[in-house]
Amino acid sequence: MATTRSIPKSSWDTLHNNGPFPLKTLHVTELEGSANMFSKYDRYNDVAKEIQRLIREAADKNEGFRPYGSAWSLSHIAHQKDNMHFNGFMSIHIPVPQEFSHEDSPYANENLFFFECGNTIKRISEVLSSHGKSLKTSGASNRQTIAGCISTGVHGSALNVGSIQDYVVGLNLIIGDKPTDIVYLERHTKPALTDDFASKINARVIRNDHLFNAALVGLGAFGFIHGVVIEAEDRFLLKRYVKKIDRDLALELADTMDFKNSTFKIDGEVDDDGKPLHPYHYKVFINPYTDEQEYVVEVMYKKPYRANYKDPIPDIKTSLYKDLIYLLIKISEKFPKSIPWFIKQLRKTILPAVNEETEGTLYEIFWDAPYQGPAFACSVGIDHTHSSKAYKILEEMTQKEGPIPGIFAMRFVKQTDATLGFTKFPITCMLEIDGVLWEKSRKLMSLTEYSRRMIEVLQENNIPFTIHWGKNSDWQFPNLVEDMFGDKVTEWKSYRNGLLSTEMQKVFSNGFLEDTKLNIPNPTNDEDLIVSL
Amino acid sequence: MKLQKKIFVRWCAAIIVCCLLSSCYSVRLKNKFGDPEPDPFNDTNDYYRYMKVREIDTTIKISVTDKDFEKIIKDCPQGIYIVEYRNTFGGVLLSAITFGRKRKVKAKYVCLKPTN
Repeated sequence: MATTRSIPKSSWDTLHNNGPFPLKTLHVTELEGSANMFSKYDRYNDVAKEIQRLIREAADKNEGFRPYGSAWSLSHIAHQKDNMHFNGFMSIHIPVPQEFSHEDSPYANENLFFFECGNTIKRISEVLSSHGKSLKTSGASNRQTIAGCISTGVHGSALNVGSIQDYVVGLNLIIGDKPTDIVYLERHTKPALTDDFASKINARVIRNDHLFNAALVGLGAFGFIHGVVIEAEDRFLLKRYVKKIDRDLALELADTMDFKNSTFKIDGEVDDDGKPLHPYHYKVFINPYTDEQEYVVEVMYKKPYRANYKDPIPDIKTSLYKDLIYLLIKISEKFPKSIPWFIKQLRKTILPAVNEETEGTLYEIFWDAPYQGPAFACSVGIDHTHSSKAYKILEEMTQKEGPIPGIFAMRFVKQTDATLGFTKFPITCMLEIDGVLWEKSRKLMSLTEYSRRMIEVLQENNIPFTIHWGKNSDWQFPNLVEDMFGDKVTEWKSYRNGLLSTEMQKVFSNGFLEDTKLNIPNPTNDEDLIVSL
Repeated sequence: MKLQKKIFVRWCAAIIVCCLLSSCYSVRLKNKFGDPEPDPFNDTNDYYRYMKVREIDTTIKISVTDKDFEKIIKDCPQGIYIVEYRNTFGGVLLSAITFGRKRKVKAKYVCLKPTN
């Protein structure tokens, strides 16, 4: 039997110290050992029952319940004031045999993998690598759990791929404590696995594109994500370059994504006609406090996998003294004008080394990032054609009303199908500023004030935008989510209200959903939304 | 004369402090593969935040005829994710004055997360 330790705890915090937030109980569930329960399906179904017990317990106390993984989100999206459940030990991987592939599946069976919620990106990559496969993309590092990634929309900068949720093709949710409350969701237009597979995990199948897309970036509000089916691809290498290029050229590429006709050319990265190749990844780093004519850009090109390449992970990794960072922040809070100088001095630590060339798998290129103290990140999604305009506006605001201790970066992501995915534009530019968390002082505005000004200036300049669910913002800003997603909000709520009972909607709610008003049901709902199509 | 003595004492103190500081350092050896074993209750604000850390802080006594020793780690069946070995001036001194018979061992380690 799976066992849970339920420990009273007065507070909980994110990895990056964005709290603390109040809490009553922290639950940690571990699976029955494989020596006592041989079948992976049995262990998986056994722990599902344990989760259902915990959900019932919370509901009976009129309390909320929220699972979390690596606590990597910087916003309060993972927090629930009553009961939080640590998923990290729920990390089964179940192979998908050919007979479980749906007859209408567009996916090659060898590319389908089923992972339990607490598997990290790193672990999944290792499992895939042992099969000669790879994830299609990841975030900038690898410690997030798969369920956390898709719930919040974690993305990299893969121009033609999308975010992590975009290669998820099946979702196993626990939406209550009854036997029928274990569901397996897929798109009806792209089924992946058979009903027999679903019955192996005791789930009822619902194949419905709209429901699937709503639950995909579900913000933890669609129940407990117990397992996901992902589509992998053949293992590949990424050739990574870090260059300094003319500022106007870097921004022009951001606005147009027209690499083929640009003057930005890297030796060897050209097509048969000598034209520049379209990269796999493009990222621009910008220090808002210097008027440099050149920006640092990171560009990666996809290459077929081969065994004989130099390991890109260095033998020695160093990091700054945390005490030094704390000291600089304390000085910055008293003397904000010193921030640009500090950032300039630390540029070698903050920015990647220019003219660096490395090659490795996705797993190696986006490898471990250790805890480095309190951090913040504000990240807005905009149509890439607005990249330079939006940056100028935010840079000006940051210079005039700041400074704040962080630098900007731009990453670019293909459009998602998820109803509330923030990468909603054909190519979304994720324009982010991140750095060291500071405290409001007489001379330095707070992080919430700064992020509120980001929203205001983008609205004033009529630039449509979204905000990364897992990053810092003024989440109570009036009508924020409606302004970002319009009618999609009603659609998302309709499917949530249809799938979850009223009682369970309350159980799977939290302060974040309340702040964004996403916990409030639609006034009326269509009755028969939750059906297979 | 008195002033010279004072300066001499200060210089000696400074040299000793420098020796103490420079001989006290730690080294981390980290596995490229695997996840650290998590501990959601470990909310310290250091490198090991949310990792399950185990510590060894002991003095090993070996006989004159023993060349070296192995301290056996018995609680990481999955393997080691990271080991941090700490060297202190006291440890070096202890080993020196006991001709290597007593050796201070101060280390932290995190196991690999069990895989399912």
